[in-house]
Amino acid sequence: MKTELPIINLKKINKIFPLEIGGEQQVLFDISFVVNAGEFVAIMGPSGSGKSTCMNIVGALDSATSGTYELYGKDITTMTPDELATVRNEYIGFVFQNFNLLPKRNILDNVMLPLMYRGISIDDRNRRAHEMLDLVGLEKFKSYLPPQLSGGMKQRVAIARALSGNPKLILADEPTGSLDSKMGNEILRFFKKLNNDMGITIVIITHEFEIAQYARRIIHIYDGRITYDGPVPKNENVLLKSQKEHKK
Amino acid sequence: MTLGDILKESWLSVSGNKLRSFLTVLGIIIGVMAVVIMVAVGETVQQSITDQFSSLGTNTIVIRAGAARRGGVRSGNRNTLTISDAEQIQKLPDVMSITPAQSSSAQVIYGNKNWSTLMLGTHPDYTAIQDIEVEHGAFFDMTAVKNASTYAVIGPDTARELGLPDNPVGEIIRIQNMPFVIVGVMKARGDSAFGSQDDMIIIPITTLKKRLQGSPFPDSVSMIALKIYLDADNAVVTDQIAALLRQRHRLKDGDEDDFQITDMKQIMETMDTVTGYLKLLLIAIAAVSLLVGSIGIMNMMLVSVVERTREIGIRKAVGARERVIIIQFLSESVMISFIGSMFGLVFGVGLSQGVGRFILHYNVPFSIWPVILSVSVAVIVGLASGVMPAFRAAKLNPIDSLRYE
Repeated sequence: MKTELPIINLKKINKIFPLEIGGEQQVLFDISFVVNAGEFVAIMGPSGSGKSTCMNIVGALDSATSGTYELYGKDITTMTPDELATVRNEYIGFVFQNFNLLPKRNILDNVMLPLMYRGISIDDRNRRAHEMLDLVGLEKFKSYLPPQLSGGMKQRVAIARALSGNPKLILADEPTGSLDSKMGNEILRFFKKLNNDMGITIVIITHEFEIAQYARRIIHIYDGRITYDGPVPKNENVLLKSQKEHKK
Repeated sequence: MTLGDILKESWLSVSGNKLRSFLTVLGIIIGVMAVVIMVAVGETVQQSITDQFSSLGTNTIVIRAGAARRGGVRSGNRNTLTISDAEQIQKLPDVMSITPAQSSSAQVIYGNKNWSTLMLGTHPDYTAIQDIEVEHGAFFDMTAVKNASTYAVIGPDTARELGLPDNPVGEIIRIQNMPFVIVGVMKARGDSAFGSQDDMIIIPITTLKKRLQGSPFPDSVSMIALKIYLDADNAVVTDQIAALLRQRHRLKDGDEDDFQITDMKQIMETMDTVTGYLKLLLIAIAAVSLLVGSIGIMNMMLVSVVERTREIGIRKAVGARERVIIIQFLSESVMISFIGSMFGLVFGVGLSQGVGRFILHYNVPFSIWPVILSVSVAVIVGLASGVMPAFRAAKLNPIDSLRYE
């Protein structure tokens, strides 16, 4: 029987930053969790909890100080910057809070960007980018520049770009942070649809419980440690309680 | 990433900042234009000097009397040469034609006009040696030399200054109160390296020596001009002439020559070397402006890296490797440099050719090597200017870049 490899497998990840004034600060302590294919996970925690550092490591944008990280069975802990770039290109689709689109490239070029770095032919890039823009409902805006679009549209373009490379994982860092609640909910519903209908693995980083509720699992981080890892509770008190217990 | 992708990305980045790119390109345009114009100026000077010497003939050798030292006194204008010397030199196997000559200044009068000019007494062979052609009339012949006839061949400028008619053959002019019949007018030859060739009067050498100067030594002359065969070696012939003249003038070992031999080929080669250095100097000066232009590119690229930190972060986040970032930034700087050099080349060639042809009325030589040089320099300058910014961009941390505001 063929077993599907876990998408994310973090084992005892620690992250220590040197401080400019001297000394160092540890921001992650023995973080371990597994995310399997098809999951929709929210990594939650208040500001300064270490969730963004965790996201950077999960997104192969940064390396852990110790511990191991396997992305789809591949140990990426000791990879070089170029190898990490290839991993990001092939396995991860990013959706950022501030969209991070290239402002002087049109929508189509932005969506094609990961495919260009993968060395895919122009025809295939075009076809795939058109499909993705069609999926997010922006096909007719393909020649627009990002500054000409609304926040919600920009985030849909970012999602199209994230999906264009057919990644194993969509990693969304506060994806509704720059949007009004209506737009935000629209984006989250879209993520849910992608997860339900297409089985795409999604990890959202957020500090809001309302947003985390769209996921099916929450990993709560507080002071660099996981205080809760389980299904979405009915209310936030469960998470706050876990946080309180950790303080003790 | 294909070459097409690299070019497209570079073009979009360069054209995205039009004013700044234009100003940076302008630096390269001025630099390359300066190099091209300086090369053209250098080549024009070289060509012009070569042309002037060529008009005298590279197989021409001129022997001047003088430079003898007697008791430590150097006397440069003693007429130590003789017509007999010329006759003996003519016997050398490589000598094609030879003529003695004596120059002097003369006050020429025609009607109520007078003009001071150079007067040259010589033989008819002088025309062959100096490539003189006659526009009107004819050059005097050896009979006129034997008879010391008062015939004159005049330059076109002299004819104009004297107010002579268009065809002055047969007109009488007066030189030192002696009437001379104009038998010919020379064709215009322009200036040579030694001054105007069109303002002079040529008369038989015997007439000058005997009639005008009344010299007690009618055999002595100030100059002997000769032409050697084209396949002859100038240096060998020069040595043969020197040896012959030293023997004839009974100069002992250690005595200085009482004549000066001027070999046109040697002078031309020396001038060629000098103008070559001049050309290099001009290019070096122009290269400074190209260097300033390249610093402009580096400056722009460094600013660009800072401005585009976030863009670099985005590109890295979606999978751009360091090598790709380096290539992109290098190609942008090469593109700026290349565009600048192309415009610089067009403007430089256009300006130098236009000014040369339409203003100076001189055919400015066009050579391919400034084109090759400009393109090569553009690529090298672009690469050199882009290396540091490109590596700086490639080494940016993606997390810090994405956070950059």
